[in-house]
Amino acid sequence: MSLLQVEGLQAGYGQAEVLHGISLAVEPGEVVVILGANGAGKTTTMRAVAGLIGRRGAVSIDGAALPPHDPGAAVAAGLALVPQGRGTFTKLTVAENLLVGATRRRDKAAVARDIERWYEVFPALGRRTGQAAGTMSGGEQQMLAIARALMSRPRLLLCDEPSLGLAPQIVRSVFDVLRQVNDDGGTAMLIVEQNAELALNLASRVYLLEVGRVVSSGAAAELRDSDTIRRAYLGY
Amino acid sequence: MEIFLDRLFDGISNGAIYAALALALVMVYRATGTINFAQGEMALFTTYLAWGLTTRNVPVWVALLAAAAAGFALGAVSERALVRPIEKRGLLATLIVLLGLFSVLNAADGLLWGRGNQSMPSLFPNTLQSYVSVFGARLYWANIGVWLLVAAVVGLMFALFNRTPLGLQMRATANNRESAALSGVPVGRILMLGWGLSAAIGAVAGVLFTPLTPDSLSLGEMFPLLIYASAAALFGGLDSPGGAVVAGLLLGVVEVLLPAYVPAVGGQLQEAIAFVAIVAVLLLRPQGLFGSREVERV
Repeated sequence: MSLLQVEGLQAGYGQAEVLHGISLAVEPGEVVVILGANGAGKTTTMRAVAGLIGRRGAVSIDGAALPPHDPGAAVAAGLALVPQGRGTFTKLTVAENLLVGATRRRDKAAVARDIERWYEVFPALGRRTGQAAGTMSGGEQQMLAIARALMSRPRLLLCDEPSLGLAPQIVRSVFDVLRQVNDDGGTAMLIVEQNAELALNLASRVYLLEVGRVVSSGAAAELRDSDTIRRAYLGY
Repeated sequence: MEIFLDRLFDGISNGAIYAALALALVMVYRATGTINFAQGEMALFTTYLAWGLTTRNVPVWVALLAAAAAGFALGAVSERALVRPIEKRGLLATLIVLLGLFSVLNAADGLLWGRGNQSMPSLFPNTLQSYVSVFGARLYWANIGVWLLVAAVVGLMFALFNRTPLGLQMRATANNRESAALSGVPVGRILMLGWGLSAAIGAVAGVLFTPLTPDSLSLGEMFPLLIYASAAALFGGLDSPGGAVVAGLLLGVVEVLLPAYVPAVGGQLQEAIAFVAIVAVLLLRPQGLFGSREVERV
């Protein structure tokens, strides 16, 4: 059974429907990337799956249906979204950001251990535990946003444009960390990314989105090697 | 010296009330992003409720607790039923709904409890003899009581904000509602809690403030108080609970001392002090004394 199963997902804003029936799946431990041009509906897909906006169609985790428009239920089911633009708690300290990420957990000792663990994975955070998140650099805030999402110990991490606004070198280290998290804990990932080359190196499978529909999907390696698809969708 | 101290004591008492109400305003501002125009009228409604109970021989301390509980319910229900459905339409829509709530509550007070002025019994010994002498000045028990109770309420709120997981969830929700929801914070319940606590603080402030002056419980009692509290909240920085408390105390003291020592201000221009403070803050330092300017790196 797939970890995440999405069937006929429709969602939008007000009268404007953005997604016209999207179906996709993520297997346990797998990294899947969604590619597509601006306005294809990538972010809307992420927000609808995470329950931030309403939706029609079925979304299930391990076969159990997720109620629509209920982000708390999605977290409880083992899903965590790192939203576009990071969404750190700018006025809270680094340590407080991580604690908020563990809101639903009751195992205090393990939460404290996890915080220490992420300080080791992200040394920049470990040096700034008492600093307000909003005063950190974009790259550090992106690391914090990922660490905060991981504090809920998700089985599926959703990342919306983790490279947005970051210097190329920082982007690479963000992807290195994502790979490490996937290798170490087997956390499955669904990633939306403009930087197709980096994303394809990390992912095993790809969905191509075009104006609210999945137009193609397949193994990442296949896509990387297909000149036509690369030129048409990835632009390089 | 004695007269100065008498005035200072009165000023601190008023300031403590402004501080409490300003803290209530800041809590709502942080949760919802608006000034709650109905904050004063919520406090008046619950003060009338407490007064009504005392006329039926309910002890005044019990009436205080009942008012705080009723305030909590009033605030929580207002958030859920009035503010939340309307707030996605924008701040202006929310403000108008709150102004509507302001008039409805005021009219309800008139219908339920009449238009006359009433005297609210004090929580503390309140005769002309219940004072201690401090350098010849009279420090009334009623003043000390107000100070202690407000200090306790403020202390409890700060402990809640900064020392408990619930307070962390409240701060997270105030800072970034969407990310809080994504982290599994029950945002709806947290917003209701913030509004409820805020109205409960207002209720305590009303029950403390009213007995300081005889015959002061009337339909127009809380509006000037709301102006002072808003000035204090602005002055301290709308998103800073600590700033609201400091500014409230400061404003209370200045409001009593300035007319006494600057003849030009006299007895009639007292309320103007609050307005002058509001305008000055907005012009000179919009983020207030302790508020945070929106500086963020992206």
